[in-house]
Order: sequence, then C-alpha cells, then structure tokens
Amino acid sequence: MFSQAFRRTAYAQCILEREMASVLLPTLTTKREIDTIIRDTLDKVVVLRFGRASDASCLQLDDILAKTSRDVSRFATIGLVDEEAEEVKVYVEYFDITLMPAIVFFFNAHHMKMDSGTADHTKWIGSFHSKHDFIDVVEAIFRGAMKGKLIVTCPLPPERIPRFQLLFKDV
Amino acid sequence: MASLADSFLADLEELSDEENYPEEETAELADAEHDGDMDMQDLESLNYDDLDSVSKLQRTQRYKDIMQKVEEALQKGERDESTFLVEEDPEYQLIVNCNSLSVDIENEIVIIHNFIRDKYRLKFPELESLVHHPIDYARVVKKIGNETDLTLVDLEGLLPSAIIMVVSVTASTTTGKPLPEETLAKTIEACDRALVLDSAKKKVLEFVESRMGYIAPNLSAIVGSAVASRLVGSAGGLSALAKMPACNVQLLGTKKKNLAGMSRASALHVGFLEQTEVFQSTPEPLRARVVRVLAAKSTLAARIDSIRGDPTGKAGRDFREGIMKKVEKWQEPPPAKLPKPLPVPDSEPKKKRGGRRLRKMKERYAITELMKQKNRMPFGKQEETSLGDGLGEGFGMLGQAGSGKLRISVAQSKLKPKATKKFKEKSYGSSGATSGLTSSLAFTPVQGIELTNPQALGSSLLGSGTQSTYFSETGTFSKIKRT
Repeated sequence: MFSQAFRRTAYAQCILEREMASVLLPTLTTKREIDTIIRDTLDKVVVLRFGRASDASCLQLDDILAKTSRDVSRFATIGLVDEEAEEVKVYVEYFDITLMPAIVFFFNAHHMKMDSGTADHTKWIGSFHSKHDFIDVVEAIFRGAMKGKLIVTCPLPPERIPRFQLLFKDV
Repeated sequence: MASLADSFLADLEELSDEENYPEEETAELADAEHDGDMDMQDLESLNYDDLDSVSKLQRTQRYKDIMQKVEEALQKGERDESTFLVEEDPEYQLIVNCNSLSVDIENEIVIIHNFIRDKYRLKFPELESLVHHPIDYARVVKKIGNETDLTLVDLEGLLPSAIIMVVSVTASTTTGKPLPEETLAKTIEACDRALVLDSAKKKVLEFVESRMGYIAPNLSAIVGSAVASRLVGSAGGLSALAKMPACNVQLLGTKKKNLAGMSRASALHVGFLEQTEVFQSTPEPLRARVVRVLAAKSTLAARIDSIRGDPTGKAGRDFREGIMKKVEKWQEPPPAKLPKPLPVPDSEPKKKRGGRRLRKMKERYAITELMKQKNRMPFGKQEETSLGDGLGEGFGMLGQAGSGKLRISVAQSKLKPKATKKFKEKSYGSSGATSGLTSSLAFTPVQGIELTNPQALGSSLLGSGTQSTYFSETGTFSKIKRT
C-alpha cells in the first residue's frame, strides 16, 4: 500500500517536472532580452528558436526543446523567440529567417554555423526527429566551439535532417 | 589401582621370565575386574537403583515453601497496590527465589531425564536420539510403557506426526527387549515425577509473568510481560539477563535442534522475541532488522530494571515508541529520482585503466616479433614475397640469411609464468670458446637437428644483457686509455 502511494507521487512529480520544464523555457520578446541572453551566457551554447507558437512543426520543436532543456542545461541555454513581435523583426531580417521554425546557435556571443548538407549554414531549419538528435547537434556545436571553430559539421545522417522544398515563393 | 601399578612394576623386573607372565596377567585381569566391579557398583548405586537418591529437589524444604507461596499468590490474583516492587518487599524476594527455583527445576528435570533414559535404553535405545526434549521423552515413555507393538500406542498430540512416523518405524526394528516389572515401575514413577516438576515450573513461570510488570516495568513495556518473564526465566534472573550482550538476548529461546534431518529452524535467528507484538506487526522483509533493534532495546531496558533506574517504566515506553517510529521510517518510499542533466562534453577526462589485466588483454592484439620482422625490409635486396616476383605479400626480414637464426622463435610473453629451467632450451653452439669438437649442427628439442651460425648468434647476444660481456671471448676491449 505504501508502494502504490509512492508510485503515484513519483509519477505525479515527473509530470509536474515536465510541465514546469515547458514553462521554464524563456520566451524573448524584446531586443534587449535577446541581447542580454546572447551576451551574458558564458561558456554555454545559446539556442534561440525563431518561430510562431501556433505552428504545428513549431509546437513539435518546442516540445523537444522543453524535454531536453534539463538534460543539456549544463552546456546549453534555450530560448524561444516569437518572431511576430515588433522588436524581433530586426533579427529576423538580419538572419534572413523565412522558413519557420528556425534555430540559431551562439557561443560566447559568436554566431555558430553548422554544415548539415543544406544550403544554409547559418541556422537550423525545421524540427528534429528525436530528442537525441537535438542533443547530438548541440553537443557538436559545443565541442567545435570549445576548440575555437566557428563552423561545425552536423553529426546527423542525412536522413534525419529535415529538408524543405520551396514550393511557393510567396506564402 | 595400586595393585595394578605394582603388577606392572613386577612385570618390568621379571621381563625374561616367561613362566610368570600368564600368572601375572591373570592376576592383573582379576585386579582390573575387581576395580571395575567396584566402579560399576559405585555408578549403580549413584544412578540406577533409587530415584530418590538422584532427584532430591522435591523433598527440599525450600521447594515446598516456594511452591506453597506461589499457589497462594496465584489464588490471590492481582496485587493490591499497583506500585513498583521494592527490594524489601517479601514478594520481590519470592520472585527472585522463583527464578532460581525454575533453573533448579530445569536441572532436576535433566537429571531425571538421564535416569529414565538409562532405564529405558534396554527397551528402546533409539528413542533418545529421536525425541530430544526431556518432557516429551517422559510422556512418550509413559505412553509406550512396555508395549512392543507401536501400532497399538497412540502418540498423537505428544509429538509432531513426522516424528511419530519415524518412531514407529524405528520401534519395529529396535534391538531392545521388554523391561522387567520392577524397572518398568521405577521408570514410570520417574516419568511422573518429571511431569510434576514440569507443571510446577509452569506455575512458577505463570506467577512470575503476572508480576513481571512490577519487577521489570521497562522490559515489559517493550516486549510484553509474557515474553519478558520467559526471557528472565531462561536467562536465570534479571541481573543475569542484564549481563548478557544483546546478540545473546536475541537468541534466547530459539528452537534449534534438527530432528532427523527435518529442520524447524527458520533463517531468522530469533527466539522469544518472535512472540512479541512489535515483531508480529512488522512486515516480512523488515523482520530481520526489527529483531536486532528489539534485542538491543530490551537489553538496555533489562539493564535499567536491574538497577531500578526507572521505576515508572517510562524509559521502556519511550524505547517502544522509538522502535515503532523506526519501523515506519523504514517503510517510507525512497525519494523520487530526478533525471540528472548530461555532463558537459569533454569536461571529464576518460578514466584510463592500467594493470596486469589490461596488459594481458592488450597482448592479444600486440604486434609480435614475427610481424615486426615482416614489416622491416632488407636493404639493397629485393624482399621475398608469397607469390614470388614481387607479387603477393612481402616477407620482410623473415627467413633472411645472415641473421643467425633459422626460425623466429616465439618470444615468451612477460606476463606468462616463466618455464622452469628443466624445459628451457639449452644454449646450443658454443658461446665463443671454439674447440675442435664444436660443430654448427645443433640438437634442439623441437626440430631435432638445426644448422646455425653460432658466431652470429653469439655476436648478436653481446649487447643483450643476458650474458655478461666481461668474460666474453668474442667481445672487444671496452675501454683503452693511455695511462
């Protein structure tokens, strides 16, 4: 009878943790916030997700980010940027973000590029197939950055890298 | 005994005299028999004939007094005052006497048991090894009596059914003979007496139990008055119990004897403490731990009681509460584990292992001498290949002339135990001292006859360190200095 109660409480606690984790991912709306997070995070990869909160693939990506946020917390910080906000449009233009969702990586205020076989190395477009793919990508960026590189190769095999084909120019 | 010694001395004096020997021997034997007879008679008189000469307890005044008082007290019922028994109180003295009396009764029962056993051996010798408990033995003997056929005897309720079965089977093949009337009567009388003593002991213990709350309030608060009285009784008094270490207290009252291979012992080493309420109310997996705590705390309580440190029994109640709290704490679920975040990549250096085991494992993949020779190439010469003419795998330095060796021997691994000298290859060829009888043929244990160049072999060993170069014939001067 004790073990049942224990199981219930542990399970409840796990669920609570997960819910809290999704809340823990900070959403950035102002330029100042984005600036601070990029500048002030030392020796940790900054993962900024640009996207709309309502989009389906964006939600999937957000879910993966939330679940892994605790696992990578020692070497990465994750932030969500809503590109609908006014101040953020500057960044959207600067990084030339057209497809949602997009992830930009930073390390010690340097912009980290990743060659994943696609045309665009400056950001990661789309979601991930699994949590571990995301962790692998972040780890590759971290290792490269610690060695002093500014561009790294993607550790994922090409099947697991989402490719997009531009069907319509104006959406 | 003196006569024996004398006869031995006489023997020594007249060693050569053979005629005297048989006389001496018979004289010796007669003496020995005589002595033996006397010893036997003493034994007989000591144990066998009269029960009363052996079992005297029931006749003593002390026994009668105490039994009488116990009967009175039991009839009187509960004590009037519910206060703690003080030392000067006559009832406390009575209880102390009761404890010692119960020990005496135990000893008496053992003596009577020996008596019964010795008498009944003629009838049924195997019974004593099957039924160990003295009271059970007495009951069984009384029931069987002089009966030869055990199917007519009903032993139900006296013994566990397994033992009854074994007893019946053994009785059918016993070597015993029926007893004479007189011996049988004595045996039955002894059984009766044993049973009376047993019931007396039970009464005494019952009385002690009822008063236990006043004798040892702390101990009774923890384990209950029934178990407390049993503990005190089996230890032989409260102060005796207080002197015991807790591990012994835990084992007081274990049923340990294994009968005919059917063991009743559980894996848990617990005696009287098994009957306490605390023990019965703990769940199975925690029982082993609880027993140890119980033994420890009850020993402490017994020590407090023996010096009258806490007449109210509060310490005992506190101990009991502590034990219950502990049991509850053990049953708490462990705290839920949160998943740990992943470590920073490359922050923890890889733990490289070393040691003999790793070296031995690496040996399997190490590059052997053979491979090393194969990887090198002779200079100025085309190396030999497996398919000839430069095709196929190259042999490298293998099989090249001039190396002094015909075969590359497998170097002995440093980690394998060294072969004994007996099996070592003896060095063949002379190591330098050329005499006319030396030849280039060497007799090796492996391949029989080999052709080698001992000079080449010797020169290659110059700097190897295994042979001293000081006395080497082929060596050169190491240092020439102008003096």
